[in-house]
Amino acid sequence: MFVAESPEQSLSGPPETSEEEVGVPRTVTPWLVLGIVLAGGLLVGLGLLVGGSRSDGPGEWAGTILGAPQQIPDAVLTDTDGAPFDLRAETAGTTTIMMFGFTNCADVCPINLASLTAALDELGDSRASGIRVILITVDPERDTEAVLRQYLDRFDPVYVGLTGSPGQLAAVQQAANVPEAQRESADANGAYQVGHASQLIVYQEDGLARIAYPFGTRQADWTRDLPRLLDGDVPS
Amino acid sequence: MRWWCVAVDEPWSWAPRPYFGVWAMCLAIVGWYAVSIKRHGGSVSRKQVVWFALGLLFLWMASDWPVGSLGAGYLASIHMLQYMLYTLAAAPLLMLGTPDWMFERLLRRRFAEHSVEVLSRPVVAGILFNIVLVATHAPVTVDSLRTTQVGNFVLDMIWLASGFLLWLPVISPAKRFRASSAGARIVYLFLAAALIPMIPGGFVAFSPQPLYATYELAPRLSIDGPSALGDQQMAGVLMKVGNVPIIWAVMAVIWFRWYDNEQRRSRDERLARQRTPLTDGSGRRPTPDRAVPPAGAAPLR
Repeated sequence: MFVAESPEQSLSGPPETSEEEVGVPRTVTPWLVLGIVLAGGLLVGLGLLVGGSRSDGPGEWAGTILGAPQQIPDAVLTDTDGAPFDLRAETAGTTTIMMFGFTNCADVCPINLASLTAALDELGDSRASGIRVILITVDPERDTEAVLRQYLDRFDPVYVGLTGSPGQLAAVQQAANVPEAQRESADANGAYQVGHASQLIVYQEDGLARIAYPFGTRQADWTRDLPRLLDGDVPS
Repeated sequence: MRWWCVAVDEPWSWAPRPYFGVWAMCLAIVGWYAVSIKRHGGSVSRKQVVWFALGLLFLWMASDWPVGSLGAGYLASIHMLQYMLYTLAAAPLLMLGTPDWMFERLLRRRFAEHSVEVLSRPVVAGILFNIVLVATHAPVTVDSLRTTQVGNFVLDMIWLASGFLLWLPVISPAKRFRASSAGARIVYLFLAAALIPMIPGGFVAFSPQPLYATYELAPRLSIDGPSALGDQQMAGVLMKVGNVPIIWAVMAVIWFRWYDNEQRRSRDERLARQRTPLTDGSGRRPTPDRAVPPAGAAPLR
């Protein structure tokens, strides 16, 4: 049944005079001890919050060490200006991070690029300028030079986008030792996804890759590993 | 079919996806409320029913699509919004909507009375509330619990329970569990819900890197939308100052009502003094047994 609102149910609580009467007797010391214990718990929790994101020891690598060093593919693809791009010649003497992907990729590619971009931003221009990032499309049909450029500009205009004929792209994937991308069936609207290798391969200044970073590599992992790779530390 | 929200490796879709576990929980709460009133015949005001309905609405909003889904696996800022909906909206409104007799019935269970008595101490409630806040926003907790439906359910219920805990010393349906004075309630709310949460909020807002793998590696809602770090910064700002409008509004209400009560009381005392004559005709101040009795009072013997 409904009755009129009683003042006791309001935010302000009951009249002040009656509260002292209904209050539970309180002793200070046990509650002080409990308070201190709980405050300790709060500090431990804060420690978890601050330190919880740290992973791996300082000597470890976040990526996967390759069984044997791999050379950068010997191929000439087309960049976003429509000009030929000789992978070996253009990347000689630089640290290169290469990945395969496509601009309609809904998860892996934008996440990989976002984490890497954030890490390079954190490294600062002086160090990040020594790293070349290359995205090779696995969907040349939709990823024209202009589309690739527009997509990469959302992350960083200096990123290199490459395309080529299906045969060229298949050969590059094989040379990079990754499984060849597979186009999935189109939906009712004609849209389709492409299954592709999700790792980022790092080629050091000598043109050899010794480590690859799987999907799920975080900004913190990149900011820890990239300076070491730039300094010539050899993953092993 | 999923019964509770969970982080998934799927691009976000605006196609509605209700979770039947959320609906079952809301229906169970409504059923419990209605049956309690009908079976035990206790009184409940219309205002309390409205508070309860609003609390339930916020509970549903925080748990179901889209807020629940976005918070579970896509955006840290929505995760934080979800936390605030549970602790600062659903919990206090459900509590305001619970009549004292209904609450007393819950306390009849074994250990319930004593547990609530201990938990309602402002120091205990305030610190425990903040331990839950910090522990449930630690990366290891979020990244572990967000990956399963059970984990998400547990996290959501812990948040709801911590919300009840926070408000227990302020608006407990049973008066004896409230803090002893309006001043104590204001200080408690300021420390427990406004000041202390600013510390972990600061850690989240000013962290140079994304803390949570769940949100860092989640498919973005839009490629041009906020980055994982930007989203986390919004979450940190929400934790730091998002509660300010609610907490300060409640503190203001408590203060103004206390002030109003004090004014009324001093006015009543003044009126009582004015009705009492200064002398009884003999030139002396009247002693209580000689004072003129108020109208309608029993005659003095």
